[in-house]
Amino acid sequence: MDETIEVSGLRKRFGPVLALDGMTFDVAPGQVTGFVGPNGAGKSTTMRVILGLDAPDEGSALIGGRRYRDLRCPLNHVGALLDAGALQPSRSARNHLLWLAHSQGLGSKRVDEVIGQAGLESAARRKAGGYSLGMRQRLGIAAAMLGDPPALMFDEPFNGMDPEGIVWMRGYLRSLAAQGRAVLVSSHLMSELQDAADHLVVVGRGQVIADTSVANLIAAASGDRVELRTTARTEAMTVLARAGATVAVTGPDAATVSGLPADRIVALLTRNAIPFSEVSAHRATLEEAYMELTRDAVEFRAAEADGAGEVVR
Amino acid sequence: MTATVTPARTPRPAGRDGFAQLLRAEWTKFRTVRGWVIGAVVAVLLTVGLGLFAGAGGSSSCASGNGPARSGAACAPSLTTGPGGGPVTDSFYFVRQPLAGNGSITVRMTSLTGELPDLTANPANQGLQIPMRAGLMSWAKAGLIIKDGTSEGSAYAAMMVTADHGVRMQADYTQDTPGLPGALSASDPRWLRLTRSGDTITGYDSADGTHWTQVGSTRLAGLPTTAQVGLFTASPIDAVITETFGGGNNGNEAPSQATAVFDHLGLAGSWTAGAWSGDYVGGGNYAPGIGSYHQAGGQFTVTGSGDIAPIPSGPSAPGGPSITITNLLIGTFAGLIALIVVATLFITAEYRRGLIRVTLAASPRRGRVLGAKAVVIGSASFVAGLVAAAAAVIVGKSIARRRQYVFPVSWATELRVVVGTAALIAVVAVLALAVGAMMRRSAAAVTTVIVAIVLPYILAVASILPAGAGDWLLRLTPAAGFAVQQAATAYPQVQALYTPNGGYYPLAPWAGLAVLAGFAALALAAAVLLLGRRDA
Amino acid sequence: MNMSHALRAEWTKLRTVAGPAWLLAALVTLTVAVSALATAAVSCPSATACPVDEAKLSLTGVQFGQAIVAVLAVLAITGEYSTGMIRVTLTAMPRRTTVLAAKAGLLAALALAAGALAAAGSVLAGRLILPGHGFTPDRGFALLSLANATMLRAAGGSVLYLALIALLSLGISTMVRDSAVAIGIILALLYLFPIVANVVTNEQWHRHLEQIGPMTAGLAIQATTDLSSLPISPWAGLGVLAAWAAGAMLAGGLVLRLRDA
Repeated sequence: MDETIEVSGLRKRFGPVLALDGMTFDVAPGQVTGFVGPNGAGKSTTMRVILGLDAPDEGSALIGGRRYRDLRCPLNHVGALLDAGALQPSRSARNHLLWLAHSQGLGSKRVDEVIGQAGLESAARRKAGGYSLGMRQRLGIAAAMLGDPPALMFDEPFNGMDPEGIVWMRGYLRSLAAQGRAVLVSSHLMSELQDAADHLVVVGRGQVIADTSVANLIAAASGDRVELRTTARTEAMTVLARAGATVAVTGPDAATVSGLPADRIVALLTRNAIPFSEVSAHRATLEEAYMELTRDAVEFRAAEADGAGEVVR
Repeated sequence: MTATVTPARTPRPAGRDGFAQLLRAEWTKFRTVRGWVIGAVVAVLLTVGLGLFAGAGGSSSCASGNGPARSGAACAPSLTTGPGGGPVTDSFYFVRQPLAGNGSITVRMTSLTGELPDLTANPANQGLQIPMRAGLMSWAKAGLIIKDGTSEGSAYAAMMVTADHGVRMQADYTQDTPGLPGALSASDPRWLRLTRSGDTITGYDSADGTHWTQVGSTRLAGLPTTAQVGLFTASPIDAVITETFGGGNNGNEAPSQATAVFDHLGLAGSWTAGAWSGDYVGGGNYAPGIGSYHQAGGQFTVTGSGDIAPIPSGPSAPGGPSITITNLLIGTFAGLIALIVVATLFITAEYRRGLIRVTLAASPRRGRVLGAKAVVIGSASFVAGLVAAAAAVIVGKSIARRRQYVFPVSWATELRVVVGTAALIAVVAVLALAVGAMMRRSAAAVTTVIVAIVLPYILAVASILPAGAGDWLLRLTPAAGFAVQQAATAYPQVQALYTPNGGYYPLAPWAGLAVLAGFAALALAAAVLLLGRRDA
Repeated sequence: MNMSHALRAEWTKLRTVAGPAWLLAALVTLTVAVSALATAAVSCPSATACPVDEAKLSLTGVQFGQAIVAVLAVLAITGEYSTGMIRVTLTAMPRRTTVLAAKAGLLAALALAAGALAAAGSVLAGRLILPGHGFTPDRGFALLSLANATMLRAAGGSVLYLALIALLSLGISTMVRDSAVAIGIILALLYLFPIVANVVTNEQWHRHLEQIGPMTAGLAIQATTDLSSLPISPWAGLGVLAAWAAGAMLAGGLVLRLRDA
């Protein structure tokens, strides 16, 4: 069964802080939707509103067209991992999953299945308080998968994972999407999502800034540059500039060229017999695209490292 | 690509590592948590509020005889006051002559007998004729007395023989000195002598009339030149009081009487050659004027009832609402609970989010950290307790006076009660901190401390347990600390109910507080030990 | 998701941590111990008439056990808030009233079961100890027995008392969410009414305080002698406590529904 998560016009204020200011987007099945934004952009709040934990001042959040609290056995519809540490430290992981399963009318067989899927068999009967951060994340994922839900939400699942864990997580998320589920993954670090997400919802200051595919976002970023190394720098600059490119000097033998594709640059240089030792195309990363997009939406920015050490808003 | 810039190193000011800095850090931690400060304020408000509530709880209405129903202070008993300012009973049968100047009076007593009301025969029998049987009240008394006139509450000094407590010299209601012990009988008489020299009265006793021992000497300030001197007999009211929890007590009481036989009466000094006159001193509701005397030759037989003694507070106090300043501090329990919660959270909150690691990394000397916390929470609680207790007593007294009788206490006692209450609260806060540090779980620690302090008090005051067991609870548990709040004086020469229910604690005030402090010190030591050993 | 699922989930939560089992064991042992100690401290010397309520004396330990029951209830809900697990619970079971009702039902059942053991043990201790202290049948003190209807009412009522204390505590904790503050409020509610009533000299106020205080009214169920002098009749007193518990649960349920998790 396909289920889409639909968020529309959410507004919520916490005292003086406006956390959500008209948040609207959809999470479609069959792809990984990255939910990205700076700290304080409203990602966790949005997820809590979807799950019926916090009540919005305005707007609605629907799963498959229904409100969360109208779902019978909600874990069969949406699985969520909000806070991996939300555990009773003195309870074993297996028992934690067991009570969750019982709340949906499921049994211990299903519990053992998800434990196996998450790779926690050896540690399942230990107290959860002794778990490392990575193990707690896996436990949270197992809990989210208990009901085999068609929609999944993960709030910053990469936090604190080691490189091996991050690779595993990426593959896991992709496999979930490949099964046809709607997967929403929030993060504030682009590098993690680079190879995991297909679609991106970029948020800042409680609103959606961009809602597009990853490819489009990268392409739209003005980050296509070519690094050039040549001993005849001045001649190269003249030739390229005449052809319409913008050239910036980065060193005695180096320059950065933007505005022309790499093969065109090679052709121009060859035709004019200008020697060069390196021409490399530099693709914008998701991180650069994102930084450019959210530049104005960032609330907390550390000062440049000039020794002053003050925080500038 | 930006060039990397190495941040310049700014010179750091040298930090200081001392206990004073630690105190400052812990004080900052405390005052910057709004919830804890609010908790301390709530403690003060509850203490004062409940105290005022107790003070305002005077009798709603009462009626006496055929008179109109009265309310408020009019229901409070109007009690005679003695020279010391406290309430007294002053009623007895007096066979007297005036003595204008210095002189002495000597007498021999051969017999003291009496009659007691039979209260068990017909318990509901108040106001009707109660059958009497032979017997003496423990403090039935008869002997010589010199008194400043015959009005109730005036100064006096007396040498007397009592039923169970031998010869005694008593003066101005509260003074009591023992003389020759032993029961009185015809074969074992007692000789008594009172001499007056100016303001000073000296009492002597003897078993044979020849060898005299001075029992005591007292000064009755302002005694006029002419004083009334003579023989007296008194026998206190017999009361059977059953206490029930909640301060109610079912009382059944009736007067008793005693008869004393005097002979060998000798006068010396500025006596006029006058005749003896006998009449009843005092009265009120509690001494229906039983008394008479009979003179045959040199022998006087004097019958009287009543007592010359202070009135202790508590369930034995005469009917009508009365209150002591200890009662006005009943809110201490509420303030204690609030501050126990705050003090416990002060330490357990550090364990909840792992803040303890930050604390111990900043100050690795763990004992000092706990010590600094104890000082901060103890001081804050002391100040809060001082403010609360002072307000409760001062404002409470003025409210209570309009509705009931407030037993007076000396200012020194009042100061001790107020400061002692503040100290009690501070020590309990430190105890809670220590228990919290040991248990590291707030609910368990709060429950343990509250139950350890409040439950023994309830069990002891409730009179479910016999007085002995209740007294032991108030000696050995942290609840002993409440003794510091005692404002009631227990008079050995007055037979009354001196139980915790009436505000009488088995330990002396500071001794009780010391017991509580001992518990706190032990707990703190154990906590420091555990903190040093455990992983953070 | 319905009540049976919620009950099963909450029961799994309770039985998979060590705390509740220890607390229930402590409830039984310490209640019986305090009851036995109190009973052993009282004796009736041969010449006097002793105005002692045997049944109430033998059940004294309930005044201690109620604190343990309160802690059990407090931790059952505040533990979820302190770890953040409440969000997991409310995500799995969004019908918040049902969750609270399930917790309440389970806690009441556990309090009834452990309380029954505690009460039975206390009565047994009284039956064994009292005759040796002068409370013999020939002086008018019957041997304590649950076959006696009044004694059964006192003991059974004490068990109900403990269950109601659990519900009162659960309601207050749901509102307050912090374990230390919750237990402070609960113990203050229980212990302050009798303490303050003790020093109020106005008979009417005194009586009213004892009639409305949850502990003073609730423990009236234990009285078996001198019933006319009680401020409130036994079952009415238990009813007062039930009203307190109902009010607390209602308020707690409202707060749970209306506030953000």
